[in-house]
Amino acid sequence: MLNRLKVLRAERDWSQADLAARLGVSRQTVNAIETGKYDPSLPLAFKIGRVFALPIESIFLEQETA
Amino acid sequence: MSVEMTESPRPPAWRKVAGLAVLALLGALVGGTFAQLTDGRFDGWEDEANALLGLVLVCLAVVSAVVVARRPASVPKDCGLLQVAVLGLAGAMLLIPVFAPETWPSGGVFGAVMGLLLVQSVANLLLWRRSDELVRRVTAESGALAFWVLQAALFVYAVAERVGLVETISGWGLLAVMMAVYLIASSIAAWRRGLG
Repeated sequence: MLNRLKVLRAERDWSQADLAARLGVSRQTVNAIETGKYDPSLPLAFKIGRVFALPIESIFLEQETA
Repeated sequence: MSVEMTESPRPPAWRKVAGLAVLALLGALVGGTFAQLTDGRFDGWEDEANALLGLVLVCLAVVSAVVVARRPASVPKDCGLLQVAVLGLAGAMLLIPVFAPETWPSGGVFGAVMGLLLVQSVANLLLWRRSDELVRRVTAESGALAFWVLQAALFVYAVAERVGLVETISGWGLLAVMMAVYLIASSIAAWRRGLG
């Protein structure tokens, strides 16, 4: 799963720690999502959508499979 | 996009190398001292393996405590402290049965380790409940990977033992194997999720 978390965070001038605090998770979790090492659960994905005031599908993009 | 971010800068490579060198030196010192102090005191490879694992876990607890202490005050420390407690208690629970019987009665050693097991189980449960979903995922993946490896290894060993190809390993020895496999499995799971 690809995502635009880093770009959205940059647009708001938030650090990973800032976003983590807003989401109630650790900074490592935000980093793991941004780097594609972890796909968040559905509740966390909805929370991310609420924090950025965007629908989930405009934050998370399905990865094209060959 | 040219957006200023408040990200803290990555530490330079030389600091990472220096940190690794210091850790390697400390590891050599601790390992060497431990080997000198315990020379000739072990009763078989099972005691050696469990004592080594216990030492590794205590060292991991100390390193984790330093990391937690150095975190900014704004970062909650409760999960980090629970992690330190879990690691330290696990190390103590492997070291006590090796060294304590020289001075304590067997019943006292057993009772002490059972008490620590109870405290460690509570700490583990609290850690699971207070962690975020990434840590829970890594914990679950560590358990799954360790189970898969251990059940395959146990099957191979049990068949070999049944047909007389290998000697019987004591429960204490099997515990050392299990702990070693779990440590490696949890390291792999954490590294895959970017926690390494």
